[in-house]
Amino acid sequence: MSLLQILCRRLMLSILVVFGVLVVTFITSRLIPGDPARLMAGEHASQETVRHMRHVLGLDEPLPRQFAGYLARLARGDLGVSIRTERPVIEDLRRFFPATIELSIVALLFAVAAGLPLGVAAAVYRDGWIDQVVRTVSVAGISMPAFWLALLLLDFFYNWLGILPGTGRLDEGVAAPPFITGMFTVDALLAGQGRTMYSAVTHIALPAFTLGFVNLGIIMRQIRSAMIEVLQEDYIRTARAGGLSAARIVFGHALRNALIPSVTMLGLLFGDLLYGAVLTETIFAWPGMGNYVIQSIGFLDFPSIMGFALVASLAYVLLNLAVDLSYMMLDPQIREIG
Amino acid sequence: MSVTQSGESVAPAPPNPPGSGAARWGVDWRHVWYRLASSPLTVAGFVIVALVIAAMTLAPAIAPYDPNRLSLAVRLAAPSWHHVFGTDEVGRDLFSRVIWGSRASVVAGLVTVAISMSIGTCIGAVSGFLSGWVDTVIMRIMDVLLAFPSFILAMALAAALGPSLMNAILPIAIVRTPFYVRLARGQALTLRDRAYVRAAETFGSSSWHIVWRHILPNSMAPIIVQATLDIGLAILTVSALSFIGLGAQQPTAEWGAMVANGRAYFLDQWWYPMFPGLAILVTAIGFNLVGDGLREILDPRLRGR
Amino acid sequence: MRLLRGPASAALLAALCIVQAGAADLATLMIGKPTDPDTLDPHVAQSNNSLTVTCKTYETLVRFAVVDGRATADVAPGLAQSWRVDPAGKVWDFTLAKQHRFSSGRFVDAAAVKFSFDRLLEIAKGPNEDYPAIASTEVLDEHTIRFTLAYPFAPFLASLASCAGEVVDPSVMSHAVDKDLGQGYLSAHSMGSGPYQVAEVEKGQQIVLEPNPYYFGAEPRIKRVVIKIIKEAAVRRLELEKGDLDLIEEVSPDQVDVLRGKPGIMVVDEPCFRQDYLSLNTKRPPLDHVLVRQALSYAVDYQGIINGVLLGKGKQMRGFIPEGFWGHDDRVMKYQYDPQRARALLAQAGAQHLKLSYLYAKADPTWETVGLVLQQNLADIGVTLDLREYAYSTMRDMVDRGDFDIAIGNYTPDFADPSQYLNYWVDSRLFGLAGNRAFYKNAEVDDLIRRAISLSDVGERTRLYQRAQSIAVAEAPYILLSQKNYDVAMRSNVHGYIYNPLLLQVFDFENMWKTP
Repeated sequence: MSLLQILCRRLMLSILVVFGVLVVTFITSRLIPGDPARLMAGEHASQETVRHMRHVLGLDEPLPRQFAGYLARLARGDLGVSIRTERPVIEDLRRFFPATIELSIVALLFAVAAGLPLGVAAAVYRDGWIDQVVRTVSVAGISMPAFWLALLLLDFFYNWLGILPGTGRLDEGVAAPPFITGMFTVDALLAGQGRTMYSAVTHIALPAFTLGFVNLGIIMRQIRSAMIEVLQEDYIRTARAGGLSAARIVFGHALRNALIPSVTMLGLLFGDLLYGAVLTETIFAWPGMGNYVIQSIGFLDFPSIMGFALVASLAYVLLNLAVDLSYMMLDPQIREIG
Repeated sequence: MSVTQSGESVAPAPPNPPGSGAARWGVDWRHVWYRLASSPLTVAGFVIVALVIAAMTLAPAIAPYDPNRLSLAVRLAAPSWHHVFGTDEVGRDLFSRVIWGSRASVVAGLVTVAISMSIGTCIGAVSGFLSGWVDTVIMRIMDVLLAFPSFILAMALAAALGPSLMNAILPIAIVRTPFYVRLARGQALTLRDRAYVRAAETFGSSSWHIVWRHILPNSMAPIIVQATLDIGLAILTVSALSFIGLGAQQPTAEWGAMVANGRAYFLDQWWYPMFPGLAILVTAIGFNLVGDGLREILDPRLRGR
Repeated sequence: MRLLRGPASAALLAALCIVQAGAADLATLMIGKPTDPDTLDPHVAQSNNSLTVTCKTYETLVRFAVVDGRATADVAPGLAQSWRVDPAGKVWDFTLAKQHRFSSGRFVDAAAVKFSFDRLLEIAKGPNEDYPAIASTEVLDEHTIRFTLAYPFAPFLASLASCAGEVVDPSVMSHAVDKDLGQGYLSAHSMGSGPYQVAEVEKGQQIVLEPNPYYFGAEPRIKRVVIKIIKEAAVRRLELEKGDLDLIEEVSPDQVDVLRGKPGIMVVDEPCFRQDYLSLNTKRPPLDHVLVRQALSYAVDYQGIINGVLLGKGKQMRGFIPEGFWGHDDRVMKYQYDPQRARALLAQAGAQHLKLSYLYAKADPTWETVGLVLQQNLADIGVTLDLREYAYSTMRDMVDRGDFDIAIGNYTPDFADPSQYLNYWVDSRLFGLAGNRAFYKNAEVDDLIRRAISLSDVGERTRLYQRAQSIAVAEAPYILLSQKNYDVAMRSNVHGYIYNPLLLQVFDFENMWKTP
């Protein structure tokens, strides 16, 4: 099968999956108690007003019609209006998405920057002290309740030591940098605003560390096991016998081959981080989508909740698609996936 | 609330090594046991798990107080001989609550995994064995489930049926099922072509019979490993949902809910969110170490130098 | 974290942080709130949370007088400089002061006042209920406005000091969408004549207020008010201690005690009229049986809750009319903690093995704790209480529909008149969230309270209200838990705050200032 055919097939499947997600989230939103028409009309609205609101929201139509209406609006880019913020959901998402993306990227960078070398070291010096440390830390990472770690770090660094700020993305009085990517750290750097960048970096430190710690564990384990596997391959032994230096072997050959399955992990991890952000953002009052969703849950603001579910699922599906394709391209042996 | 696996891939177990003793599910358990006992980390994991299970089963006996008994006079007391972990805002003994909380948290984790493992394995084995359009449809449904944010499902069920521990277990179990489906399916695909399976087919055994007697038993090794690793994850996810308020409700003692309640007091009563969170961490570490140990042994690619 | 390496770096970082904090503005006031107001429209806003903003961006015809630095419940001129009422008590004429202007520059004239009240009554989303008696408003001349009441309404003048009577700029109509009379616009903006105007609203994040350039009074020393929304109580407290916030709301009883001792921090802990009470759904068996309700009233450990949950910052209510209001009855019956009596009453009612549900939300952190105590109290008399937590909006919806057994709630009056309680809580015309959450109906009580609200003689009104109260208390449709204190914490360099129990969550920013 040619790459193009595979691409098409995967695309079709992805669309199917997205559709499935839409159906499930739609049904989900209709299961929630509390009358959204009532909520929007206000507590003192008369029955008449509530009825009218119900009509405006299209809630008096049969379910399939409502769903069709929902799809039609989606096609126009209309995700509805948030009951809580009274803004279009898509605008809310646009506002809060960059903060979460920034957090996820920094967390992932941290996890990779720390996890990669440590994972390699652990594999190369297997059963040595660094291996033990890595295995301990990574087990702690994947066993760590993120919300607890967040509290702990906040207490230690903000309360006890007072060297890192507590909440938000910037210090009070520091204006946001001009918008280029929506990521304050990057934008401040590009605009040459040293103080803003410093403020943004200190604010993102704790949340990113918390979020990244779990994935640090996952990455270290993945790299370690992949490296161990590769280091046992015959061609490595041959290279060693042939007198190639250890460094050359590790970095020249083994790493490259160990990274291939790891690439797929990265994609999935990034999708994960978006969800993991939900807990971390609450504790640090980080104004991202995770915080937004938690507040929406508290309000039963189903347009926002569905909007978030949709965008997040979409992101996850697309990531999966990209990851699968890159995997197929990198490793021609794996073309047949169900 | 991670939806991915813990970062490891698992290969199918090889057939019985020649000359070995009794083997069940294609694995020589005496050998496994020996290997497990020789790794200190794994032993530590087993000890932790044993302690947690002991706490769960013996809770009524070892908890010094009734976990739900209020005692406003001693609210927010610091750890002392009377109250080893201190007390919460209504004077309930936190040590007792943590002990009893193991029931909620760990049982929730175990049940979640049990559900997703059993359902997922059956579906996957059947799907892999039958192939064809059945297989395709099932895999597509699994893809939808995989893309799904588990906490949205949890929220919906919680809202529709009322937030409770059970209503948090179900969505997590549902969302984890695809992993087992994939694993079991992979195994079934491999085993389908084995001689004894072919033989059974020729003899006219029904598909269900073949799956039940031949395919499933020989697929269990990687599935057991995955399940053990999943228990830790399930415990974390359940406590995360309880933390947001979608899981266990007052007055049920559950670790995640206790951290959530203790959140407001963490500045002066550090012990309140600290100990339940520590319990989650340690328990998850225990299960993960055991799972790791099992994987080291059952996965041939990691064996030896 | 990777960025921090070594003690030198840490010290540098610490120094930089301190420098930044020190440079905090003396003209900016930073406030921490747990949730953001649902709307900033004074004619729509139902909760005190919105008042922090609306009371400073709008003005009322009259205001509560401040005498010798203390707030009173008496009425002083606001937008109106004088007024008179006809002998029948039905026609009120107000003469407006001439210098008040909206933030748009437009003068506050009689036409604007008429527009504002018409708008309030037309929107009819709750605040209008403070003015049930208005039959018509008339512009007599540019600076005189006449209210004609359908019946003599004794508290009318006092009610005009309540935030529901805030005057909105008629220019709001240029922002009206689809006949909403500008509600959409005003939910996140202000168009009033108050000392401040809304500069920026970031839902869920912060609200920024800046001075109204056309305000009639002196220029305020606080030039910028930043209200930050921080959900975590512990974080709010932390930021106050570190000086990142100047003032925090929703200080829990625990935090009050801790913060009192800290240097640089001042705590305001004053009795107020905010009450916590339980509504017993009298329409649902077994709560339709008066003996059962009385039994529950005796089963509650009131003092235990006040000591253990409120940490002594409150007191048990006696009757609906709180202490401090005229009409408060010191002799009306008060239920005491008496589990034995409770059990006897239950037995008398023939009620065995009752199972009830307790409805609450996380909106108020003490509600859950109270629920836990109640659970134990009720278990002691053989009643199983099931705790049910819902999102605040869902909970209010369920209360409104009567879909509960026992629901907790809190209440603050808008002005100092017993009608604020008795004509809401026990009037069978107001079933639901707006007033009568127990769905209680008693014909005699209805008659008494409806007569009392239209009379002007204080003595007669007192008699009628107290009689109605006695009947209602005996029938126990509500369990009156406590009259709580109001707690606020601020840095000690913040001056000028005058506490008014009728204006909770309102801070007179224009009269406040900070010293270094």
